Amino acid sequence: MSRPGFVLEVDERTPPLLVHEGESFRLQRFPLGTQVVYPPDSLPRIRNLDAAIRDALMNPVDAEPLPQLMKPGMRLTIAFDDLSLPLPPMRAPDIRGRIIEHVLEIAARRGVDDVKLVVANSLHRRMTPREIKHVLGERVFRSFWPEDVANHDAEDRGNLTHVGLTDKGEDVEINRRAAESDLLVYVNINLVAMDGGHKSVPVGLASYQSLKHHHNVHTMMHSASFMDPTQSALHDSAGRMGRLLAEHLRIFQIEATLNNDVFPDPFGFLNKREWEWSVKDQASYLAAKRANDAAPARVRREVWRRIEAPYGITGVTAGETEAVHQRTLANLHRQQLVEVNGQADIMVAGLPYICPYNVNSIMNPILVQCLGLGYFFNMYRGKPLVRPRGVMILFHPVPWEFHQVHHPSYVDFFEEVLSETTDPSQLEAKFEQHYAHDPWYIHLYRNSYAYHGVHPFYMWYWGAYAMDYLSDVIFVGADRRSVARMGFRTATTFVDALEMASETVGRSPTIAYFHNPPLVMADVR
Amino acid sequence: MTRLADDVRQLAAGWRWTRRPLTPRSAEHWLPAPPLKEFPTDWARAPVARAIGQALFDFGLKPVTWWAIAPRVAGLDALDGLTPPVLFVSNHASHADTPILLGVLPKRWRDRTAVAAAADYFFDAWWRAASTALVLNTFPIERAGGPLAVGTAERLIREGWNLVVYPEGTRSQDGWAGRFRHGAASLSLAYRLPCVPIAIRGSFAAMPRGRGWAVPGRPAVSVRFGPALVPEDGEDFRSLSRRISQAIARAWDEDQTTWWDSKRRESRGATPSIQGPAASRWRRIWQSTRPLPRPGQPRAWPRS
Repeated sequence: MSRPGFVLEVDERTPPLLVHEGESFRLQRFPLGTQVVYPPDSLPRIRNLDAAIRDALMNPVDAEPLPQLMKPGMRLTIAFDDLSLPLPPMRAPDIRGRIIEHVLEIAARRGVDDVKLVVANSLHRRMTPREIKHVLGERVFRSFWPEDVANHDAEDRGNLTHVGLTDKGEDVEINRRAAESDLLVYVNINLVAMDGGHKSVPVGLASYQSLKHHHNVHTMMHSASFMDPTQSALHDSAGRMGRLLAEHLRIFQIEATLNNDVFPDPFGFLNKREWEWSVKDQASYLAAKRANDAAPARVRREVWRRIEAPYGITGVTAGETEAVHQRTLANLHRQQLVEVNGQADIMVAGLPYICPYNVNSIMNPILVQCLGLGYFFNMYRGKPLVRPRGVMILFHPVPWEFHQVHHPSYVDFFEEVLSETTDPSQLEAKFEQHYAHDPWYIHLYRNSYAYHGVHPFYMWYWGAYAMDYLSDVIFVGADRRSVARMGFRTATTFVDALEMASETVGRSPTIAYFHNPPLVMADVR
Repeated sequence: MTRLADDVRQLAAGWRWTRRPLTPRSAEHWLPAPPLKEFPTDWARAPVARAIGQALFDFGLKPVTWWAIAPRVAGLDALDGLTPPVLFVSNHASHADTPILLGVLPKRWRDRTAVAAAADYFFDAWWRAASTALVLNTFPIERAGGPLAVGTAERLIREGWNLVVYPEGTRSQDGWAGRFRHGAASLSLAYRLPCVPIAIRGSFAAMPRGRGWAVPGRPAVSVRFGPALVPEDGEDFRSLSRRISQAIARAWDEDQTTWWDSKRRESRGATPSIQGPAASRWRRIWQSTRPLPRPGQPRAWPRS
């Protein structure tokens, strides 16, 4: 029986608490009375995973067993989440590969010859063959690469199908092969509550034409939060699209949930509550901290990049998309949800080295913003952890640094767009179309490993609600230039940040520290 | 090097390297159950370790204790006619109780005596566990019960060791005895062991909870042994536990007054309770910390 999450109140007995700050971490003392939101302990992993997958496929929710959906001569497409999930990447064998092996076993038994695999990367960068091999496993990769495994190309007009319009007039345009298949099997990993459900097919396999209906400032401003599908305009839109798709296409959704085993040894101390650190954990912290800080930047990044999470699987569910997703969310909440009483004046978070959009890459300032104000701020159900007009203090160095191959449009967005305005609505109106249709960005997206030209806009929209909601955002220990470019403020130390925040929230603010990762979601009452 | 030193200092302060680790109050409810693992103490009862431990006790701990505290002992004749193993059952008010109790025991008894110590207190850090096991011949006992609660105690009894057991399970908060648990009575019944009741008076005043050293002035502490109790046929552990408590209370009364007076009160069922007066906390402490006369110090006036 794993322990639930809880809210710690810092007292004089509390040791300094671990705070992530990009490719580093620190121990930070917090003021007495600070509320610290801790995630639940890792749930027990499913021991016999193969049996669980078989059971899910043979006894799906609101759908026929998978073998009954397959027959010789049919067109079968298997789409799967790209490398933005999970974080950090999962230690092999990846759950997607294991599930796909079972699906293919059934397909082989049922005599299905026409099988294609599609990476549902939407406007994300293409996955490299090596990354695809890691996800699919050697057996599937060898059988299907390169002819029958492909990244989805949202700019390949010849391979997109316009399925129709929703009752709100939203275009539903997805990958042609998927749209014209007799059966589309979607294999998902549900890391956060935003993922999965109707956000899988209508987003992962969509084009810009379709995505722009929900990836926009208006939708984000009406999603409080987008981590709570019941309160999210983003999910409402994706749901309308998904239901329209379900009328035209047979979709068999498979979703998996993970436990909180995020960091492997020797970083295991990062998963634990600080006062329970053993002498070994303290020694590990000391050694890791000193070695990390002393290492050259390139070596440090490589060490972090190589971290693979020893995640355990807590649930595999298959069947009709909405019914499956209800169960998935229940599983996910069991692992991540923590009840919190009341909002704080200041929310503090340490941002780790990775977000969904910089796997094997660099976390540039826009992604830092997205992780802090998009993901961490929105990890709530009910109300935000911080009160309206409150302050968010984030730990991250925010280096002025970009991956030139993966994020070319980000560079220009940062230089050209943010230097003119940081207002999401303004930059959406003035710049989005240009970036979305720029032929050079489209070329890089299709032929190199670049995120789509419009992607930095979406990352900025992700934080739009938080920017509007908060009165101040302060980065601790960050590059002043890059933080100023984004319209935020920098403090040298946490104490300075609190001093700066006092201008807004007074001298005796309530403080909530969001201890994340491992992932936690605040159920604020 | 400076930053390394800073990190080490931060860890040392945050995790109280030289002291008992503490859990934030709001996290106490969420502490994981301690693993079912017992600190091994058999090595401390091996001949060489015992020789070292006894030397450390005889030439280190006992002289230091006797330098800081003035113990006096009475009633050791209660041990005449007994053969090991027996249970020494005492009230408990101070960390000084164990060294005093072992120090006043005749050497032939002490050399075959082990002390039950709270696993969650004395055995939570290896250095504390190892040092107390070596010098005081302690072994861990789970206060909360469970599968490891009395396992080692039973094994030691089978091997012929006398055991010191404090049935209250913890030190007194105010110098008076608390509620007795039934572990000692259960062991006595299971192995038909004689129980030797012992009343220790004055140790709370000498070194109460929260103090790491005795109060100045070499306070007196009295240790009085009572006649051994033997489980009766058909007796249950509750009844035996009650008799043990009454025997300690009578030894306490005898120490406070005289043997004759205590016997007369016992026959009338009027032995004062060792749980102290039903009064406010300060009055209970006031009463329990009334100084004992020093050994050899004559009374200015005889008791009335």
